[in-house]
Amino acid sequence: MNKPDILKTLDRSQNGEYCTVKEWDVKRIPRRVSEKLKKYDLIKTSDPENPVNVDGELADRFFKAGYELALELGMLCETTDRIIKVSEEELETAINAAPSELTVGVGEDATVMKARKPSDPYPSKFGASLGITTSEDVWPALTEGIARQQPVDVLEGGSLKSIHGLDVIPSAPSETLVGFEQAKMHVKIREKAGRPGMGGIGQISAVTEYGQFGGYGLPGALNTTDLSLILFPSELKVNYQTLHKVVHTINVGGMIFAGSPAMIGGMPGPPEGAVLSCIACALLQYPILQADVGGGEIYDIRYLSNVNRDGIWALSVTHQALSRNTNLLTHGIANQVSGPGTKELLYETIVGVSTIAASGAAFGTGPRSAGGKLDDYLTPLECRFCAEVSHAASGLPLEKVNDIAKTILPKYETNIKDPNIGQIVHDVYDLETFQPKPEWQKVYDEVKQEAIGLGIPL
Amino acid sequence: MSEIDRLRDAIVEGDEDQAAIAANAALEAGIDPATLIKEAINEPMDKVGKAFQDGDIFLPELIIIGDAARVASDVIVPHISLEDLDASAGGKVVIGTIQGDMHDIGKNIVSAYLTAVGFKIKDLGTDVSPKEFVRAAIDEKADVVAISTLLSTTQPLFANIVKTLEDAGQRDNFFIVVGGGPVTPEWAADIGADGYGRDAGDAADLTKQLLSAGQKPPFDQPLVVGALKQ
Repeated sequence: MNKPDILKTLDRSQNGEYCTVKEWDVKRIPRRVSEKLKKYDLIKTSDPENPVNVDGELADRFFKAGYELALELGMLCETTDRIIKVSEEELETAINAAPSELTVGVGEDATVMKARKPSDPYPSKFGASLGITTSEDVWPALTEGIARQQPVDVLEGGSLKSIHGLDVIPSAPSETLVGFEQAKMHVKIREKAGRPGMGGIGQISAVTEYGQFGGYGLPGALNTTDLSLILFPSELKVNYQTLHKVVHTINVGGMIFAGSPAMIGGMPGPPEGAVLSCIACALLQYPILQADVGGGEIYDIRYLSNVNRDGIWALSVTHQALSRNTNLLTHGIANQVSGPGTKELLYETIVGVSTIAASGAAFGTGPRSAGGKLDDYLTPLECRFCAEVSHAASGLPLEKVNDIAKTILPKYETNIKDPNIGQIVHDVYDLETFQPKPEWQKVYDEVKQEAIGLGIPL
Repeated sequence: MSEIDRLRDAIVEGDEDQAAIAANAALEAGIDPATLIKEAINEPMDKVGKAFQDGDIFLPELIIIGDAARVASDVIVPHISLEDLDASAGGKVVIGTIQGDMHDIGKNIVSAYLTAVGFKIKDLGTDVSPKEFVRAAIDEKADVVAISTLLSTTQPLFANIVKTLEDAGQRDNFFIVVGGGPVTPEWAADIGADGYGRDAGDAADLTKQLLSAGQKPPFDQPLVVGALKQ
């Protein structure tokens, strides 16, 4: 019997170097990040006046520093307080073996992600929405509404709060149940929307591994042409939840879509430190988690967002660094804070999604309408807009995207801390006809025209 | 350099050993313990909190400084006379991230803030079940149970903690405060919590206000500090 590649990870999660979470968080991460920032002359390289980086050489220096950081730190398994380190040979082998092209879904409805470079005309593909909590009566129509948006390449949909009236509780059997039931509905909804072969992302309603066990790779549920979503904690930490999901996905022959945000203001410190941590994290997902698509997500801890100047700059450098120096399928999220029905949500989308797409990410997901804070604050219209911007902005020069960001940011940035949360889905979107209500459509049309006027070929 | 300055510097440097030495030295020099708390701990911690919000310092520094402040306040608080003791000083908070949620950053920030302003903290970590929250609250004789999450699907478990305390006849012994990415004042009200804080600074204000309110839990409506704009 051949040993699976994941065995090294599992072994090191049990027998690697001992390190407590606190030691990892407050000593090892900040010290190593600080050393690399100094060594590569990266301190205070962020430029709030030019939120989208246009300096390729700077991105390459960040990559080198992030690569070294990955090798020196590894990831901490917080369940066991053991460090999972990888050698340079293992890292290189994993990066070279990872796919640079991936088909998600089947047949005519499938989408093909490709490794991209900054301003690459091949579109950065888009999956919608994020797992915003959704009530059981709203979820089917809302998810169908998202699937009906042709620009949306891959379907995720919101998180269910309950299943057949039973609250979904972490680690409870209701998670295994919702994993299966939601996956079955997901498949049916894609058929109903006329896109039976559309790729899906799951499992999102259960936070623990039970959702994956129940809903990924079983007959009638999400299958191996869909992406198995495996999120893990920052900074550079995994746990047994993460590893259970990885092993299960490998067991059923599925595709691993991994991700974890680096936090500006958190353990790696300033935006430059978060970029390093994010690059290291993105790289380590390949040898440690056997990722097919890996995340390059960054949030600013002060706002739980990344559509502010520091966040946009960090996203731009991270994705440029990864895309210029590897052929990996990297993923990014623009983390909006404003809600449905508002111009600000669409402005935040223009800046965040165009930055990620033009900086070379292969794949984006979103939106996080109203910061993902409120149940049923999500509509198919902003999902459509995100995907449209992702595709249209992919080939834009970085200088152009920087100009767009500088024009749009002043329209919302003063409200990021205290955003306009907008309106609940029923107030702005008709889920029977799958049409936005006139006021929301008007806002969308106006902002879309504005974006076209700024040079995004929507 | 005065003893107060020496203690303040040790805390801002995040040096736990020096903070303990400086706190003892200041007490031996006869400095009023309440003054020490106010001038050597609370005032600089307010500045540290603002520096964190402004992006001038980051979470590791905040945690290290908070730890040094906790060491100093552990030395000083037993020397404060009852009449000088603020109603909230020395209150005990059991804090954790709810079951299923491994995110710890928000909880760590709140924990550091609360420690720094003089609360005793029992940090249960992440992925804490309702049963563990309840058991720790009772065992630790806590005043406050602080529950955090970044996952919107965990609301039923928050409610479960409140209900378990009610069923155990213990609800009126603990203030329950909630916070985290998806948590809102409405969420707090729905589950029967006593307070909601939007960020770490709010959580510290909220906890002080609850313990100084002169009213036992539960509150009819949660005390809200820092609500979302509706």
